[in-house]
Amino acid sequence: MVVIVCVDKKYGMLFNQRRQSQDRILRARILERTKGAKLWMNGYSAKQFKEGLPSHVAVSEDFLALAGPNDFCFVENADLTPYQDKITGIILYHWNREYPADHHFSLDMTQFMLQAIADFPGSSHETITEEVYAL
Amino acid sequence: MKPFSRLLAPLLLSVCVLLSGCSASSEPVVSLDAIPAYSGDPYVVINGNVPFFEESDFTTTAYEEYSELDYLNRCGVVSACVGLEIMPTEERGSIGHVKPSGWQTAKYDCVDGKYLYNRCHLIGFQLTGENATAENLITGTRYLNVDGMLPFENMVADYVQETENHVLYRVTPVFDGEDLVAQGVLMEAWSVEDEGDGICFNVFCYNVQPGVAIDYATGESWLDGENAPASSESTTMYVVNLSSEKFHEATCGSAEKLSDDNRMEFFGNREDLIAQGYKPCGSCKP
Repeated sequence: MVVIVCVDKKYGMLFNQRRQSQDRILRARILERTKGAKLWMNGYSAKQFKEGLPSHVAVSEDFLALAGPNDFCFVENADLTPYQDKITGIILYHWNREYPADHHFSLDMTQFMLQAIADFPGSSHETITEEVYAL
Repeated sequence: MKPFSRLLAPLLLSVCVLLSGCSASSEPVVSLDAIPAYSGDPYVVINGNVPFFEESDFTTTAYEEYSELDYLNRCGVVSACVGLEIMPTEERGSIGHVKPSGWQTAKYDCVDGKYLYNRCHLIGFQLTGENATAENLITGTRYLNVDGMLPFENMVADYVQETENHVLYRVTPVFDGEDLVAQGVLMEAWSVEDEGDGICFNVFCYNVQPGVAIDYATGESWLDGENAPASSESTTMYVVNLSSEKFHEATCGSAEKLSDDNRMEFFGNREDLIAQGYKPCGSCKP
Protein backbone atom coordinates (compact mmCIF):
# COMPACT_ATOMS: atom_id res chain seq x y z
CA MET A 1 0.00 0.00 0.00
CA VAL A 2 0.99 3.60 -0.51
CA VAL A 3 0.61 5.91 2.46
CA ILE A 4 -0.12 9.61 2.11
CA VAL A 5 1.10 11.80 4.96
CA CYS A 6 1.31 15.56 5.60
CA VAL A 7 4.22 16.92 7.60
CA ASP A 8 5.58 20.27 8.73
CA LYS A 9 9.18 21.45 8.47
CA LYS A 10 10.21 19.18 11.33
CA TYR A 11 8.19 16.17 10.17
CA GLY A 12 5.51 16.92 12.74
CA MET A 13 2.03 15.56 12.08
CA LEU A 14 -0.17 16.26 15.11
CA PHE A 15 -0.37 18.44 18.17
CA ASN A 16 -2.71 17.54 21.01
CA GLN A 17 -4.25 14.81 18.84
CA ARG A 18 -5.24 17.36 16.21
CA ARG A 19 -3.89 17.80 12.69
CA GLN A 20 -1.43 20.63 12.32
CA SER A 21 -2.97 21.99 9.18
CA GLN A 22 -5.25 21.30 6.25
CA ASP A 23 -5.74 22.65 2.75
CA ARG A 24 -8.69 22.25 0.42
CA ILE A 25 -6.52 22.24 -2.71
CA LEU A 26 -4.43 19.46 -1.25
CA ARG A 27 -7.57 17.45 -0.46
CA ALA A 28 -8.70 17.78 -4.06
CA ARG A 29 -5.25 16.75 -5.27
CA ILE A 30 -5.26 13.63 -3.12
CA LEU A 31 -8.68 12.60 -4.41
CA GLU A 32 -7.63 13.23 -8.00
CA ARG A 33 -4.34 11.42 -7.62
CA THR A 34 -5.93 8.29 -6.17
CA LYS A 35 -8.80 8.15 -8.66
CA GLY A 36 -8.89 4.70 -10.24
CA ALA A 37 -7.60 3.05 -7.08
CA LYS A 38 -8.96 2.70 -3.56
CA LEU A 39 -8.22 5.41 -0.99
CA TRP A 40 -8.55 4.46 2.66
CA MET A 41 -8.80 6.75 5.67
CA ASN A 42 -10.31 6.77 9.13
CA GLY A 43 -13.27 8.76 10.39
CA TYR A 44 -11.09 11.56 11.71
CA SER A 45 -9.67 12.20 8.24
CA ALA A 46 -12.99 11.69 6.47
CA LYS A 47 -14.47 14.52 8.52
CA GLN A 48 -11.97 16.87 6.90
CA PHE A 49 -13.43 16.23 3.43
CA LYS A 50 -16.36 18.58 3.78
CA GLU A 51 -16.65 18.74 -0.01
CA GLY A 52 -17.83 15.10 0.10
CA LEU A 53 -16.11 11.81 -0.56
CA PRO A 54 -16.14 10.11 -3.97
CA SER A 55 -16.94 6.45 -4.38
CA HIS A 56 -13.32 5.29 -4.48
CA VAL A 57 -12.84 6.31 -0.83
CA ALA A 58 -13.34 3.78 1.95
CA VAL A 59 -13.58 4.82 5.61
CA SER A 60 -12.68 2.51 8.48
CA GLU A 61 -10.97 2.80 11.83
CA ASP A 62 -9.02 -0.32 10.87
CA PHE A 63 -8.05 1.04 7.47
CA LEU A 64 -4.34 0.27 7.61
CA ALA A 65 -5.04 -3.38 8.29
CA LEU A 66 -7.75 -3.60 5.62
CA ALA A 67 -5.87 -1.85 2.80
CA GLY A 68 -4.70 -4.05 -0.06
CA PRO A 69 -1.30 -3.96 -1.81
CA ASN A 70 -2.39 -1.49 -4.49
CA ASP A 71 -4.46 0.77 -2.26
CA PHE A 72 -3.68 4.23 -0.93
CA CYS A 73 -4.04 5.21 2.74
CA PHE A 74 -4.35 8.81 3.88
CA VAL A 75 -2.81 8.80 7.35
CA GLU A 76 -3.14 11.65 9.83
CA ASN A 77 -3.40 10.21 13.32
CA ALA A 78 -2.65 6.50 13.03
CA ASP A 79 0.56 4.72 13.97
CA LEU A 80 2.29 3.45 10.83
CA THR A 81 4.99 1.47 12.57
CA PRO A 82 3.13 -1.87 12.77
CA TYR A 83 2.46 -1.70 9.02
CA GLN A 84 5.98 -0.88 7.85
CA ASP A 85 6.26 -4.16 5.94
CA LYS A 86 3.03 -3.51 4.02
CA ILE A 87 4.12 -0.11 2.78
CA THR A 88 5.40 -0.05 -0.79
CA GLY A 89 5.24 3.67 -1.37
CA ILE A 90 5.00 6.99 0.46
CA ILE A 91 3.61 10.30 -0.70
CA LEU A 92 4.76 13.06 1.62
CA TYR A 93 3.17 16.47 1.51
CA HIS A 94 5.29 19.16 3.12
CA TRP A 95 3.39 22.18 4.42
CA ASN A 96 6.66 24.15 4.39
CA ARG A 97 5.60 25.88 7.59
CA GLU A 98 6.26 25.15 11.24
CA TYR A 99 3.57 24.08 13.65
CA PRO A 100 3.68 22.71 17.17
CA ALA A 101 4.03 18.92 17.17
CA ASP A 102 3.89 16.11 19.67
CA HIS A 103 3.53 13.32 17.10
CA HIS A 104 5.99 13.00 14.24
CA PHE A 105 6.36 10.97 11.07
CA SER A 106 8.75 8.25 12.12
CA LEU A 107 8.63 5.63 9.39
CA ASP A 108 11.99 4.15 8.46
CA MET A 109 12.54 5.47 4.94
CA THR A 110 15.98 4.01 4.30
CA GLN A 111 14.57 1.47 1.82
CA PHE A 112 12.61 4.06 -0.13
CA MET A 113 13.85 6.07 -3.10
CA LEU A 114 12.60 9.52 -4.02
CA GLN A 115 10.88 9.15 -7.40
CA ALA A 116 9.34 12.57 -7.96
CA ILE A 117 9.05 15.96 -6.36
CA ALA A 118 6.69 18.80 -7.19
CA ASP A 119 5.64 22.13 -5.69
CA PHE A 120 2.15 23.56 -5.96
CA PRO A 121 0.25 26.41 -4.28
CA GLY A 122 -2.37 25.46 -1.74
CA SER A 123 -5.42 27.44 -0.73
CA SER A 124 -3.89 28.70 2.52
CA HIS A 125 -0.31 27.56 1.96
CA GLU A 126 2.01 29.43 -0.33
CA THR A 127 3.78 26.30 -1.50
CA ILE A 128 3.11 22.67 -0.70
CA THR A 129 5.78 20.19 -1.74
CA GLU A 130 4.82 16.71 -2.88
CA GLU A 131 7.45 13.98 -2.61
CA VAL A 132 6.79 10.51 -3.99
CA TYR A 133 8.86 7.61 -2.65
CA ALA A 134 8.90 3.98 -3.76
CA LEU A 135 10.74 0.86 -2.69
CA MET B 1 -13.54 18.85 24.36
CA LYS B 2 -14.93 21.59 26.55
CA PRO B 3 -12.60 24.23 27.92
CA PHE B 4 -11.38 23.81 31.40
CA SER B 5 -13.71 24.62 34.25
CA ARG B 6 -12.40 27.08 36.79
CA LEU B 7 -12.81 24.58 39.63
CA LEU B 8 -9.90 22.40 38.60
CA ALA B 9 -7.30 24.92 37.58
CA PRO B 10 -6.07 25.98 41.00
CA LEU B 11 -5.90 22.37 42.16
CA LEU B 12 -3.75 21.18 39.32
CA LEU B 13 -1.58 24.10 38.51
CA SER B 14 -1.98 26.88 40.99
CA VAL B 15 -3.28 28.88 38.10
CA CYS B 16 -6.50 30.65 38.85
CA VAL B 17 -9.04 32.34 36.68
CA LEU B 18 -10.54 35.67 37.64
CA LEU B 19 -13.76 36.77 36.15
CA SER B 20 -13.69 40.28 34.87
CA GLY B 21 -16.75 42.28 35.83
CA CYS B 22 -17.30 44.13 32.58
CA SER B 23 -15.18 42.35 30.02
CA ALA B 24 -16.50 39.59 27.81
CA SER B 25 -13.40 37.60 28.60
CA SER B 26 -12.14 36.00 31.80
CA GLU B 27 -8.47 36.60 32.50
CA PRO B 28 -6.05 33.91 33.64
CA VAL B 29 -3.69 34.90 36.43
CA VAL B 30 -0.61 32.78 36.04
CA SER B 31 1.69 31.90 38.87
CA LEU B 32 5.26 31.38 37.73
CA ASP B 33 5.63 28.83 40.52
CA ALA B 34 3.34 26.55 38.55
CA ILE B 35 5.44 26.67 35.40
CA PRO B 36 8.40 24.29 35.05
CA ALA B 37 11.81 25.83 34.43
CA TYR B 38 12.93 25.96 30.81
CA SER B 39 14.49 22.64 29.87
CA GLY B 40 15.24 22.86 26.17
CA ASP B 41 11.78 23.00 24.59
CA PRO B 42 10.36 26.37 23.50
CA TYR B 43 7.05 25.69 25.20
CA VAL B 44 5.46 23.53 27.85
CA VAL B 45 1.89 22.23 27.88
CA ILE B 46 -0.30 23.67 30.64
CA ASN B 47 -3.38 21.99 32.10
CA GLY B 48 -3.29 19.09 29.63
CA ASN B 49 -3.62 21.55 26.76
CA VAL B 50 -7.08 22.62 27.84
CA PRO B 51 -7.46 26.40 27.89
CA PHE B 52 -8.94 28.32 30.81
CA PHE B 53 -11.82 29.88 28.88
CA GLU B 54 -15.22 30.17 30.50
CA GLU B 55 -18.53 29.47 28.82
CA SER B 56 -19.18 33.21 28.98
CA ASP B 57 -16.22 33.65 26.62
CA PHE B 58 -17.80 31.58 23.85
CA THR B 59 -18.75 33.66 20.85
CA THR B 60 -18.61 33.47 17.09
CA THR B 61 -18.45 37.24 16.80
CA ALA B 62 -14.93 38.25 15.92
CA TYR B 63 -13.28 40.75 18.25
CA GLU B 64 -9.90 41.71 19.64
CA GLU B 65 -9.24 43.22 23.04
CA TYR B 66 -6.03 44.62 24.51
CA SER B 67 -5.22 45.56 28.09
CA GLU B 68 -3.95 49.03 28.82
CA LEU B 69 -0.24 49.27 29.54
CA ASP B 70 0.46 49.21 33.27
CA TYR B 71 2.47 51.75 35.29
CA LEU B 72 5.70 50.11 34.08
CA ASN B 73 4.56 50.39 30.47
CA ARG B 74 4.02 46.63 30.32
CA CYS B 75 1.46 44.78 28.26
CA GLY B 76 -1.29 42.74 29.88
CA VAL B 77 -3.58 39.98 28.69
CA VAL B 78 -4.85 40.25 25.13
CA SER B 79 -7.71 38.23 23.71
CA ALA B 80 -9.56 37.78 20.49
CA CYS B 81 -12.11 35.73 18.70
CA VAL B 82 -10.17 35.19 15.49
CA GLY B 83 -12.20 34.97 12.31
CA LEU B 84 -11.71 35.69 8.66
CA GLU B 85 -13.48 39.01 9.11
CA ILE B 86 -10.61 40.47 11.18
CA MET B 87 -7.65 38.76 9.53
CA PRO B 88 -5.29 41.13 7.68
CA THR B 89 -5.77 41.95 4.06
CA GLU B 90 -2.69 44.13 3.72
CA GLU B 91 1.03 43.65 4.20
CA ARG B 92 2.53 44.41 7.61
CA GLY B 93 3.94 47.88 8.19
CA SER B 94 6.86 49.10 10.27
CA ILE B 95 6.83 48.62 14.04
CA GLY B 96 10.30 49.97 14.75
CA HIS B 97 9.05 53.06 16.56
CA VAL B 98 7.37 51.05 19.34
CA LYS B 99 9.58 50.53 22.38
CA PRO B 100 8.11 47.79 24.60
CA SER B 101 9.05 47.62 28.28
CA GLY B 102 12.61 46.38 28.78
CA TRP B 103 13.49 47.01 25.15
CA GLN B 104 17.20 46.82 24.35
CA THR B 105 19.00 46.41 21.09
CA ALA B 106 21.37 43.49 21.56
CA LYS B 107 23.16 41.42 18.94
CA TYR B 108 24.72 37.98 19.27
CA ASP B 109 26.25 35.70 16.69
CA CYS B 110 24.43 32.74 18.21
CA VAL B 111 21.01 34.25 17.50
CA ASP B 112 19.24 33.68 14.19
CA GLY B 113 19.33 37.10 12.53
CA LYS B 114 21.73 38.32 15.27
CA TYR B 115 19.21 40.47 17.14
CA LEU B 116 18.32 39.00 20.52
CA TYR B 117 15.03 40.84 20.89
CA ASN B 118 12.09 41.17 18.58
CA ARG B 119 9.10 43.42 19.05
CA CYS B 120 6.97 40.39 19.63
CA HIS B 121 3.24 40.55 18.80
CA LEU B 122 1.13 38.95 21.51
CA ILE B 123 -1.61 38.31 18.98
CA GLY B 124 0.28 37.64 15.77
CA PHE B 125 -0.25 40.04 12.90
CA GLN B 126 -1.47 37.20 10.70
CA LEU B 127 -4.42 36.62 13.05
CA THR B 128 -5.89 40.07 13.60
CA GLY B 129 -3.85 42.43 11.46
CA GLU B 130 -2.89 44.46 14.52
CA ASN B 131 0.52 45.88 13.73
CA ALA B 132 2.17 48.70 15.67
CA THR B 133 -0.14 48.59 18.67
CA ALA B 134 1.96 49.15 21.81
CA GLU B 135 -0.54 47.15 23.90
CA ASN B 136 0.19 44.13 21.69
CA LEU B 137 3.99 44.23 21.56
CA ILE B 138 6.42 42.89 24.14
CA THR B 139 10.17 42.54 24.26
CA GLY B 140 10.57 38.93 23.21
CA THR B 141 13.56 36.88 22.21
CA ARG B 142 13.94 35.66 18.66
CA TYR B 143 13.48 32.16 20.07
CA LEU B 144 10.19 33.06 21.74
CA ASN B 145 8.94 34.72 18.59
CA VAL B 146 9.95 32.12 16.01
CA ASP B 147 10.25 28.81 17.86
CA GLY B 148 7.72 29.45 20.61
CA MET B 149 4.79 31.50 19.39
CA LEU B 150 4.85 31.45 15.60
CA PRO B 151 4.06 27.73 15.13
CA PHE B 152 0.89 28.13 17.21
CA GLU B 153 -0.11 31.25 15.31
CA ASN B 154 0.42 29.37 12.03
CA MET B 155 -1.80 26.54 13.19
CA VAL B 156 -4.63 28.88 14.18
CA ALA B 157 -4.33 30.98 11.02
CA ASP B 158 -4.49 27.93 8.76
CA TYR B 159 -7.48 26.53 10.62
CA VAL B 160 -9.47 29.75 10.36
CA GLN B 161 -8.61 30.25 6.70
CA GLU B 162 -9.54 26.70 5.77
CA THR B 163 -12.67 26.22 7.86
CA GLU B 164 -13.92 29.82 8.13
CA ASN B 165 -14.64 28.97 11.76
CA HIS B 166 -13.66 31.11 14.75
CA VAL B 167 -10.98 30.56 17.37
CA LEU B 168 -11.01 32.01 20.87
CA TYR B 169 -7.47 33.15 21.41
CA ARG B 170 -5.77 34.66 24.43
CA VAL B 171 -2.16 35.50 25.20
CA THR B 172 -1.01 36.49 28.67
CA PRO B 173 2.50 37.87 29.18
CA VAL B 174 3.83 36.67 32.52
CA PHE B 175 6.12 39.01 34.43
CA ASP B 176 7.95 38.28 37.66
CA GLY B 177 7.26 41.12 40.09
CA GLU B 178 8.29 44.43 38.55
CA ASP B 179 10.44 42.94 35.79
CA LEU B 180 10.25 44.82 32.53
CA VAL B 181 10.74 41.73 30.38
CA ALA B 182 8.24 38.87 30.53
CA GLN B 183 9.37 35.40 31.52
CA GLY B 184 7.13 34.06 28.81
CA VAL B 185 3.59 34.03 27.52
CA LEU B 186 0.62 31.80 28.19
CA MET B 187 -1.11 31.01 24.89
CA GLU B 188 -4.63 29.59 24.87
CA ALA B 189 -6.82 28.78 21.90
CA TRP B 190 -10.09 26.93 21.29
CA SER B 191 -12.10 26.59 18.10
CA VAL B 192 -15.68 27.63 18.72
CA GLU B 193 -17.94 26.11 16.07
CA ASP B 194 -16.53 22.58 16.44
CA GLU B 195 -16.05 22.86 20.24
CA GLY B 196 -12.28 22.47 20.19
CA ASP B 197 -12.13 19.60 17.69
CA GLY B 198 -9.91 21.62 15.39
CA ILE B 199 -7.92 23.82 17.75
CA CYS B 200 -7.39 23.29 21.45
CA PHE B 201 -4.22 24.21 23.27
CA ASN B 202 -2.86 25.82 26.39
CA VAL B 203 0.89 26.33 26.45
CA PHE B 204 3.49 28.50 28.10
CA CYS B 205 6.19 29.73 25.71
CA TYR B 206 9.49 30.66 27.34
CA ASN B 207 11.02 34.07 26.69
CA VAL B 208 14.53 32.67 26.61
CA GLN B 209 17.31 32.51 24.09
CA PRO B 210 19.64 29.50 24.15
CA GLY B 211 23.20 30.70 24.69
CA VAL B 212 22.19 34.05 26.12
CA ALA B 213 21.44 35.05 29.72
CA ILE B 214 18.82 37.73 30.34
CA ASP B 215 18.22 40.07 33.25
CA TYR B 216 14.43 40.17 33.11
CA ALA B 217 14.31 43.18 35.43
CA THR B 218 15.95 45.43 32.85
CA GLY B 219 16.29 43.49 29.59
CA GLU B 220 20.09 43.53 29.79
CA SER B 221 21.72 40.41 28.43
CA TRP B 222 25.03 38.68 28.05
CA LEU B 223 26.44 35.48 26.64
CA ASP B 224 25.99 32.38 28.79
CA GLY B 225 29.15 31.68 30.71
CA GLU B 226 30.04 35.32 31.06
CA ASN B 227 29.32 37.09 34.29
CA ALA B 228 28.36 40.66 33.74
CA PRO B 229 26.03 42.52 31.40
CA ALA B 230 28.98 44.78 30.58
CA SER B 231 30.53 41.94 28.61
CA SER B 232 27.60 41.77 26.22
CA GLU B 233 27.10 43.84 23.12
CA SER B 234 23.91 45.27 24.62
CA THR B 235 23.10 48.66 23.12
CA THR B 236 20.24 51.11 22.89
CA MET B 237 18.88 52.79 19.81
CA TYR B 238 18.88 56.59 19.79
CA VAL B 239 17.69 58.92 17.08
CA VAL B 240 20.06 61.79 16.31
CA ASN B 241 18.92 65.12 14.89
CA LEU B 242 21.83 65.96 12.61
CA SER B 243 20.70 69.55 12.37
CA SER B 244 20.31 70.40 16.06
CA GLU B 245 22.90 67.81 17.12
CA LYS B 246 20.58 66.51 19.84
CA PHE B 247 19.77 62.88 20.37
CA HIS B 248 16.45 61.36 21.43
CA GLU B 249 14.84 58.18 22.62
CA ALA B 250 13.41 56.36 19.58
CA THR B 251 9.91 56.95 20.96
CA CYS B 252 10.38 60.71 21.57
CA GLY B 253 7.86 62.84 19.69
CA SER B 254 10.66 65.03 18.36
CA ALA B 255 12.41 61.99 16.92
CA GLU B 256 9.28 60.80 15.17
CA LYS B 257 8.89 64.19 13.42
CA LEU B 258 12.42 64.23 12.02
CA SER B 259 12.83 64.22 8.27
CA ASP B 260 14.99 61.49 6.77
CA ASP B 261 17.61 64.09 5.83
CA ASN B 262 18.13 65.15 9.44
CA ARG B 263 17.64 61.75 11.05
CA MET B 264 20.32 59.24 12.01
CA GLU B 265 19.70 56.06 14.02
CA PHE B 266 22.48 55.25 16.45
CA PHE B 267 22.94 51.96 18.29
CA GLY B 268 25.20 52.22 21.30
CA ASN B 269 25.63 53.98 24.62
CA ARG B 270 24.60 57.57 25.34
CA GLU B 271 28.13 58.28 26.54
CA ASP B 272 29.41 57.51 23.05
CA LEU B 273 27.04 60.06 21.56
CA ILE B 274 27.97 62.70 24.12
CA ALA B 275 31.64 62.03 23.41
CA GLN B 276 30.88 62.72 19.73
CA GLY B 277 29.47 66.14 20.63
CA TYR B 278 25.74 65.36 20.63
CA LYS B 279 23.50 66.64 23.44
CA PRO B 280 20.59 64.75 25.02
CA CYS B 281 17.07 65.99 24.29
CA GLY B 282 15.68 68.01 27.19
CA SER B 283 12.24 66.53 26.72
CA CYS B 284 12.76 62.75 26.59
CA LYS B 285 16.04 62.93 28.57
CA PRO B 286 17.66 59.88 26.97
